[in-house]
Amino acid sequence: MRRTTRWARLVRVVLVKELVDSFRDKRALGSILLSILIGPLITGFMMNRIADRQRAADDVRIPIVGSENAPALVQWLSQQSGVVVATGPSDPEQAVRDQVEYVVLVVPPDFSDKFRSSRPAAIRVVADSARSDSRPQVDRVHRLLQQYSAEIGALRLIGRGVSPAAARPLQVQEVEVSTTQQRAARLLSVIPLMVLLAAFTGAMQLATDATAGERERGSLEALLVNPVPRGALAFGKVMAAALAAMLAVAVTAVLCTGLLRFIPLQELGMRFRFGAPHMAGLMAAALPMCLLTAAAQSCIATMAKSFKEAQTYMGILILAPMLVGVLGTLYPIDNQPWMYGVPLLGQYVLLTSVLGGYAPSPVAFVAAGIVCVAGAAVFIRATVALLNSERIVFGR
Amino acid sequence: MITAVDLRKYFGPVAAVDGVSFTAGNGHVTGLLGPNGAGKTTTLRMLYGVMRPDGGTIQVDDVDATRHPQAAQARLGVLPDVIGLYPRLTAREQIRYYGELHGIEGGRLEERTTELLRGLDLMHIADRRSAGYSHGERTKVAMARALVHDPQNVLLDEPTNGLDVMSTRAVRAIIRRLKAEGRCVLFSSHVMQEVSALCDSILVIAGGKVVAYGSPDELRARAGHDNLEDAFVALAAPGEPR
Repeated sequence: MRRTTRWARLVRVVLVKELVDSFRDKRALGSILLSILIGPLITGFMMNRIADRQRAADDVRIPIVGSENAPALVQWLSQQSGVVVATGPSDPEQAVRDQVEYVVLVVPPDFSDKFRSSRPAAIRVVADSARSDSRPQVDRVHRLLQQYSAEIGALRLIGRGVSPAAARPLQVQEVEVSTTQQRAARLLSVIPLMVLLAAFTGAMQLATDATAGERERGSLEALLVNPVPRGALAFGKVMAAALAAMLAVAVTAVLCTGLLRFIPLQELGMRFRFGAPHMAGLMAAALPMCLLTAAAQSCIATMAKSFKEAQTYMGILILAPMLVGVLGTLYPIDNQPWMYGVPLLGQYVLLTSVLGGYAPSPVAFVAAGIVCVAGAAVFIRATVALLNSERIVFGR
Repeated sequence: MITAVDLRKYFGPVAAVDGVSFTAGNGHVTGLLGPNGAGKTTTLRMLYGVMRPDGGTIQVDDVDATRHPQAAQARLGVLPDVIGLYPRLTAREQIRYYGELHGIEGGRLEERTTELLRGLDLMHIADRRSAGYSHGERTKVAMARALVHDPQNVLLDEPTNGLDVMSTRAVRAIIRRLKAEGRCVLFSSHVMQEVSALCDSILVIAGGKVVAYGSPDELRARAGHDNLEDAFVALAAPGEPR
């Protein structure tokens, strides 16, 4: 019992010293501040872009070349809400390629002949599918043309005494099972990524400075002369870095979700509710991970021969959360139980679920948390082994 | 009191320390004298528990340091080869940190810290960050830090290395005071004057081995030279032209 309290007291001493030391370090402060602010900034920027694009898609400007060939169509288009018909450019393909126009409609001269004789009348939509920002406009134009085509087709059938229903053997009905909140979460998947990143960037400077920095400044040998168990030293340093990561994670989560209030989610067709239980869920998912990131970074930085080398490793390590984020966007994750057992992936799934408005079972939180704590314990043990190695301490 | 018996340390095929034995008594200054690369720092590192000996035993007071390195460290005050202060901490904070690591707390720690800052004439820089300290100031703060737990045994690795005259004198005064307080002081140096001026006994090391051990007078007599420097050269590098 007395040994445990002594151990805990030494951990606290090391922890406080590392925090005081690093909060006087402008580099560390700058990096923590940056890690805190970058997430909300990126999130806000992306959300705003999406909202802008959605608004732009509703108000579509359609330049038409050869509008005199299809006056009825042009008139119908101009009567649709949010549609502005304009005269098309002389070279439609070049105009789209040069990104002067999102989309151009070209009506060939034989359009009215074919149209009048009830043969399929070709009409060209000039668009650049490589441009993702024109997608909503192009889609809207396609929908409008299909709608016009269907209406005319129905009229023609009625004119021939056939029920338009006969020409529609199928009626496709989509049953949407995801709630709007879930669809919003898909769009908001950038927030879990930012929270994961904050767990890395928040701890990075402190973890590096307290290990590789300590060695590079030559203070490690003097520190090891004190009668302190290496485990208490390593744990104190890791805890200091973990606290910095937790701060970054908490602030990122609060700012990112707070930003959503200022973003016109309604215009995106989303309802997004976020309250105290959601915030508690985010924290329960993300905070145990901070211990793991801090321990992993401390261990790797202890191995590095210099501060510079340690920073290189940190740069590589940060690819891990990015990979999870990229995979999460490429392959929309359907929650599998095994995912909670994989660090980072488990947190990503939990964060996405919480933002999606449905709570994973407490077992999932506990399992994912235990995996992180166990991983942290392994890294702390490895750090202790490194501190016991003369090759590491004396840099041979 | 520190007793080393047959200490050995190998770095690959190189024997850095090759069978060093000695006893450094209380109230006594023992000098570890030798050229660069003789094994002085490695010997001290084994004594203060950051390197494991490949052979031999170390006794610090009544503690077997090879078996209980931390119990031994609690009885040692150490100024290592590289001083390593924290540039963003003040002198007071550095001393306090080491005190806390030794388990000293509260009012006793504050008292002891102030006492050391006063005793080593560091009050004027006590609350300034150490980034701007002179070399002499850094050495003195490191000394204060090493003495915060009032250790019976003090190990100093080349304490006057690179110091100006005033700082060197200050360090020598501290060593004399530690001796007067009845502590066991062991310090390494390659500076002859210093060793002869301060030490009660001298351990001359060369090539990882003890080549001579005795009082300055005994060494002079043994080497057949009146001048300690000549004696040192004769002992440490026999055959070397003077």
